Amino acid sequence: MDLFLEQFPIVIRSLNVGFLQTLRLFFVTLIGALPLGLLISFGSMSRFQPLNTLTRIFVWIIRGTPLMIQLLIVYYFPGLVLGNAIWGGGETGRFLAASTAFIINYACYFSEIYRGGIQGIPVGQTEAGLVLGMTRSQIFFKVTLLQMIKRIVPPMSNEIITLIKDTSLARIIALQEIIWAGQSFMKGSQGISGVIWPLFFTAVYYLVCNGILTLFFGWLEKKLDYFR
Amino acid sequence: MKKNIALMLALLMMASLTACSSSSDSASDTTAAETAAETTAAETADDEESSAAEEDTTAAESAAAEDSDLAYIQEKGTLVVGITDFEPMDYKDADGNWIGFDADMATAFAESLGVEVEFVEIDWDNKILELNSKSIDCVWNGMTLTSEVTSSMDCSNAYCNNAQVLIVPSDVADQYQDTDSLADLTIAVEAGSAGEEVVTELGVATTAVSSQADALMEVAAGTSDAAVIDALMAAAMVGEGTGYEDLTYTISLNSEEYGVGFRTGSDLAELLNTFFSESYADGSMLEIAETYGVQAALIEQ
Repeated sequence: MDLFLEQFPIVIRSLNVGFLQTLRLFFVTLIGALPLGLLISFGSMSRFQPLNTLTRIFVWIIRGTPLMIQLLIVYYFPGLVLGNAIWGGGETGRFLAASTAFIINYACYFSEIYRGGIQGIPVGQTEAGLVLGMTRSQIFFKVTLLQMIKRIVPPMSNEIITLIKDTSLARIIALQEIIWAGQSFMKGSQGISGVIWPLFFTAVYYLVCNGILTLFFGWLEKKLDYFR
Repeated sequence: MKKNIALMLALLMMASLTACSSSSDSASDTTAAETAAETTAAETADDEESSAAEEDTTAAESAAAEDSDLAYIQEKGTLVVGITDFEPMDYKDADGNWIGFDADMATAFAESLGVEVEFVEIDWDNKILELNSKSIDCVWNGMTLTSEVTSSMDCSNAYCNNAQVLIVPSDVADQYQDTDSLADLTIAVEAGSAGEEVVTELGVATTAVSSQADALMEVAAGTSDAAVIDALMAAAMVGEGTGYEDLTYTISLNSEEYGVGFRTGSDLAELLNTFFSESYADGSMLEIAETYGVQAALIEQ
């Protein structure tokens, strides 16, 4: 017990640092993937056939391959194949590579949710807008968008909760997020070795974080509940 | 039929690579497609373990051969050392600085080359990938010189002795004092480690896990009967006053040596050998070894 109390603050400090990295990756992915997803969804709904096909193939490839492989490709291929390690070996390079892979991957998932949200709005509304002499972009921003946002909150909250847990995959390119931090005490780190509980304790961080997210999305859903 | 499937897979791979690189970095589509063809060849070879590593390195090798690795490192001014948290070779002190026998030697070596040293924690499974993609410049982390390692990296001379030892719960330790007694056990080993190699040679069932620490956890949790890990690590991690008080180590299954790995074709391995013999001669190597209690294992240079 004494040993545990002695180790506890050291472990928590290390887990906090790891969790900060997890959160950083989470927010950077959201900031990048939310708008990029909208762009991709426009591509996959485009009436310009080549763009439409290309976008759908791209989405198929990204959604059809494991994120872990995508991380490995993004981080190692520039150095391995092009002979130019653009990311560098340090923690920053690993973070940028991880962010890139996560943004692309999640943008593809988001794009499909957006597409579902947009195409779920009755066509009659667009036709009515056209009859009234509105342009297509006016119809999108003034009629469709708000209804879409309301409809996509539940599936988006699902994806976003998955995202925070998926950040642990970045461990494969040795990004030192919270799982890495927890595991390091099993091998030995900062004078503590062979300690297993920090790894399992990381789950508490995810749980608390997702609890907060769940409350937030519940609140958001209620807030947007002003028309049906 | 088989040919068609292979062709389709190759096309698929190329398509995915083109898609990935065109959106993730500035590489033009055509070069990505060209290189994709190369890597598909390497990927297919991946199944046959030994040849895979060689295939993979060809790209890096040709690049390294053009201008020397030393010039490359001196130009960027840092020697990036790939490590894992591994007491007493590479580990963090209370202030978060990397210390240990390997870490101190690496720092001294970088100094002799006139460059800064940078330690980067890597996933041990990906060490060859890290090296060939140039995200690190050497693997210097109590690495056992196995045939897998020496065939895929240019290694320095051995500098430290090691052994693979058997870890079992203390209460049953007396039953496992020779290799014959291991036949019915399930032994946890680190995937790709020297421990896995010796246990497989004995013909005993193994459970491959991702690190030596995971192997210890398997034994502690009772999911495996025993584990095989490095002697240096075992001494630091099991027994009285450690995290695994109920475990102990019994027999040594082999003896082996530690070395430092560089990219194939690198001129740094030779330089390090010279550095090793110099620092052994003037006693500085022994001095560092004594700091971390590994002097008994040190090999004369």
